[in-house]
Amino acid sequence: MIQVNQMVKIYGFKKVLNGVSFTAAKGEITCLIGINGAGKSTVLKSIMGLTPYKGEVLIDNALLTPVMYEEITFIPDSLTMPSNMRIADCLSFMADFYRNWNAERAEELLKFFELSSKDRVSSLSKGMAAKLNLLLGLALDCDYILMDEPFSGIDMFSREQITNVFTSELIEDRGVIITTHEINDIEHLIDKVVLLQHGKVEREFYCEEVREQEGKSITDVMREVYKK
Amino acid sequence: MTEEQKSGVSFNIREPVYIQVVRHFKEQIATGQIGAGDKIPSRRELAALMKINANTAQKAYKEMEEQGLIVTEGNSPSRITQDQQILSSIRAELIESAVDIFIGSIRNIQIPVEELVDIIKTKYTSERKLSPEGGDTR
Repeated sequence: MIQVNQMVKIYGFKKVLNGVSFTAAKGEITCLIGINGAGKSTVLKSIMGLTPYKGEVLIDNALLTPVMYEEITFIPDSLTMPSNMRIADCLSFMADFYRNWNAERAEELLKFFELSSKDRVSSLSKGMAAKLNLLLGLALDCDYILMDEPFSGIDMFSREQITNVFTSELIEDRGVIITTHEINDIEHLIDKVVLLQHGKVEREFYCEEVREQEGKSITDVMREVYKK
Repeated sequence: MTEEQKSGVSFNIREPVYIQVVRHFKEQIATGQIGAGDKIPSRRELAALMKINANTAQKAYKEMEEQGLIVTEGNSPSRITQDQQILSSIRAELIESAVDIFIGSIRNIQIPVEELVDIIKTKYTSERKLSPEGGDTR
């Protein structure tokens, strides 16, 4: 389980995160939701130690240390590979760079996303680039995956392929945190929701419980929180 | 059960998904699309087919197991029960809950029951003629 305790992040004079606490369990998909600028990406980057913050992050009850980053993969919101590389080059770069690279799974994912290893990064459509970006993260053997806005700016068909990841064995037994500001297509795919508002967690709940106990959809709850 | 029939489920976003999955299976059993002793998909397969969360699929199966709808022996895939008493009670249960919903929404209009029954008769029989297979669920 990933536990974020009282995370505070200040940019200049602006308190972006003002004591954010939540948990994300292994084997579950936790969705960090917030309108633009709510600090969703900042939470993920802080967990990864990519930006300094106050507060603590626990992984399986132990304080996060640099060694543990092999257990967590961060998939940024866009592909960061040089455009002249072929997909095959990207994969071998990852294999050289990461000890926990799973080449077999990478091959599986190529088929799953219908990508060709001969294609150059520069020739990829936005949707294909997004899929390659996900592939590079998903092919690492690790317990937790953090995905920053995996659906932003992607066409319907790539979107469908990406949502298929969430029901497949590709994430079996892993803990996943994704950020999004738009939940329509994925209401039925996620386990848990953490709603960020004004630098704090406004609500944290299991989707099925809100449906069962309150008769509300996730969008209903979002409307309540963000219209205030 | 074909892939089309299952992925054709459209979910109500305000009702627990696991309950809707259980109801879907009951409808399939009541209409004979799946029968006693038939194998059902694994929880992963079900999640992928219905495009739902795998833990939710698991919860639906647990619920179905508790209601005696499916049985699991050892490591083999779960199957629809062979218990005729349970199977025949499903149809009655579905009809009753559908009628309850109908009555709940018509009661406010305060229509005399004879008039209502006549309307139902005409509508129900004419709709049946239009779609002899029971209609597309999508």
